[in-house]
Amino acid sequence: MPILNNLMQQLVNGLALGSIYALIALGYTMVYGIIGMINFAYGEIFMFGAYAGLVLALTNYVNVYVALLGATVITMVLGVVIERVAYKPLRRSSRLSALISAIGVSIFLSSLMVRMKGPNTRGFPKLFENRIFEIGDFQITIYQIVIIGVAGLLMLGLHLFVSYTKMGRAMRACSQDRDAASLMGVNIDRVISVTFAIGSGLAGAAGVLAGIYFNAVQPYMGLLAGLKAFAAAVLGGIGSIPGAMIGGLMIGLTEILGITVNLSQYKDAFAFTILILVLLFKPSGIMGRKANKKV
Amino acid sequence: MFRKKSKALVAMSIIMSALIMVSGCGASKPAATPTGDAESKEPIKIGFLGAKTGDVAIYGLNTLKGLNMAVEELNKEGVLGRQIQLVEEDNAGQKDQAINITNKLISQDKVVAIVGDPTTGITRVAGTIANSKKTVIMSAGSTGPDVVEIGPYVFRDTLLDTIAAPATMKYVIEEKGWKNVALITSKNNDYSVGLSKIFSKSIVDNGGKVVIEEFIQDKDTDFSGQITKIKAANPDVIVFSGYYTEGALIMKKAREVGIKAVMVGGDGLQGDDLMKIGGADVEGSISYAGFSPEQPTPDTEKFINAFKAKYNNELPDLFAAQGYDALMLIAKAIKEAKSADPEKFKDTLAQTKNYEGVSGTITFQEGREPIKSPVYLLEVKGGKFTLLKKVPVEVK
Repeated sequence: MPILNNLMQQLVNGLALGSIYALIALGYTMVYGIIGMINFAYGEIFMFGAYAGLVLALTNYVNVYVALLGATVITMVLGVVIERVAYKPLRRSSRLSALISAIGVSIFLSSLMVRMKGPNTRGFPKLFENRIFEIGDFQITIYQIVIIGVAGLLMLGLHLFVSYTKMGRAMRACSQDRDAASLMGVNIDRVISVTFAIGSGLAGAAGVLAGIYFNAVQPYMGLLAGLKAFAAAVLGGIGSIPGAMIGGLMIGLTEILGITVNLSQYKDAFAFTILILVLLFKPSGIMGRKANKKV
Repeated sequence: MFRKKSKALVAMSIIMSALIMVSGCGASKPAATPTGDAESKEPIKIGFLGAKTGDVAIYGLNTLKGLNMAVEELNKEGVLGRQIQLVEEDNAGQKDQAINITNKLISQDKVVAIVGDPTTGITRVAGTIANSKKTVIMSAGSTGPDVVEIGPYVFRDTLLDTIAAPATMKYVIEEKGWKNVALITSKNNDYSVGLSKIFSKSIVDNGGKVVIEEFIQDKDTDFSGQITKIKAANPDVIVFSGYYTEGALIMKKAREVGIKAVMVGGDGLQGDDLMKIGGADVEGSISYAGFSPEQPTPDTEKFINAFKAKYNNELPDLFAAQGYDALMLIAKAIKEAKSADPEKFKDTLAQTKNYEGVSGTITFQEGREPIKSPVYLLEVKGGKFTLLKKVPVEVK
């Protein structure tokens, strides 16, 4: 069954792409859940993660896990710094101010990277040799396995962290009612910092995975990836962690299936068509709760 | 009808007599514009239009190197007993500066011809001005559409995609035997869309078949969906009409899933980043060019040696060779027309047939579009483009 086989192959492609969107989407959704703002700079944090991975990989023959970990730590710090500098002073002002500040951060980060590394696309060094696993006619590359595997582990880890740790409980409390949580003795500033750190770290890890999978990094790679991840977060229901995972995978799969049915000319339109449809017909998304007053 | 004509005649004769009076007044002074006067010993002025600074400076500077060589050689014997003098200006790759410079070259310096600009965009702008002021302009670099269509004074001596792409496909299909083609187009890139049309027609014309057609966009990074489909279609060759960055990424993805076919494309693939990003995965990729210093004909070898002697052992590139040819073509037309008046020698120039230039044989078709032979097919070998084969082009 060549058609079925081809479809299976494309599903794997879609899962790998979707995993990357899902990791970025988690950052959007977590921050929205806690402080109710959209951090549009996540795409650029993703790009920074990719470059951090590139620099690490080029300097001293580190392996893939060190590059991943290093990039994650760097972007975590970056995320916390951004929050302190650009968002915290605006926490009590209007949503629009924070949104504009986020767009400013996003432009700043990509311009900074153009300044530091130049505007051209750079190749990503091979952190490990490619291998192709064949199951009959069906093939999966080691890159795809690593991306889907690492993304899956990170999401599982996040789920466990939020569900079973004290900090996770504090985060959930904040997302329900920040003022009440504060009255119960939850340190809001710390919770927000941790949220930014985790969200940014996931985006940074996604950046390295994207570098490995696409073989390329460039300073504006975060823009489109960030917007598609935002569409994924909205599709899943913004504020919902499992929603972001499902939304990301669905956006990735839709894009690849679009190509499969000969619509590669419209590849980038899929994510945004979905975004518009969700906003029109089910603004709360797949897993989202009906919001009472938000937005 | 008749009345109108007679009115026009009256008007014409009035203008003519006015002109005679004016020229009569100036007759005592020496002729201000020596153009067209074979007796005059004033130099024949040729303008250079191109960038000497800025992003595209490398094209302009290399064109200039070729031009200076041509000037040196022509001035050994002179053209119609006169010397050639080059008037250089720097447009920095900017259209507004190019307009001022073109006007200055024509009105102030009184050049009879301009060589430049290497880019299509500026050639269109400068060509419109030169054509309206009846000055020959020959671009030694532009390959885009709507250039020579501007008018009878506008020329170029470049290898066009409409000539090179079919020649490349003929080679790929007939000599390599790669009949089943996967065609990839970058749909937000005008160059790629245009080139894909030429490729797809010439694939069919040469007995090949497009087994799968896919689309990407410039700046895309994920090609897994398209590559999976291409693998299933099992093509003999991947023809990609876009630029080097995406070309490199496509090939990396293709090798990753085990596709063995090589990539063939236009001169958009020729950037160092193709090899820098693609590494071993782009080895064997084929592209075409209007010049290569490898395997030269005796004439071209003489040019290369003289060029190396003059410019510190540097090898001439496409722009240097075409710049040299451009001025040589103009000089030849001036000699044959026995006049440095652009109104006269433009027609001689347009009739150029099988001129043996250093970048290849040049023939101007009706409408002045050039046919150049050979097409230099290049192949990536050991991390750089090397000459694979010179494919001759027939002039119909």
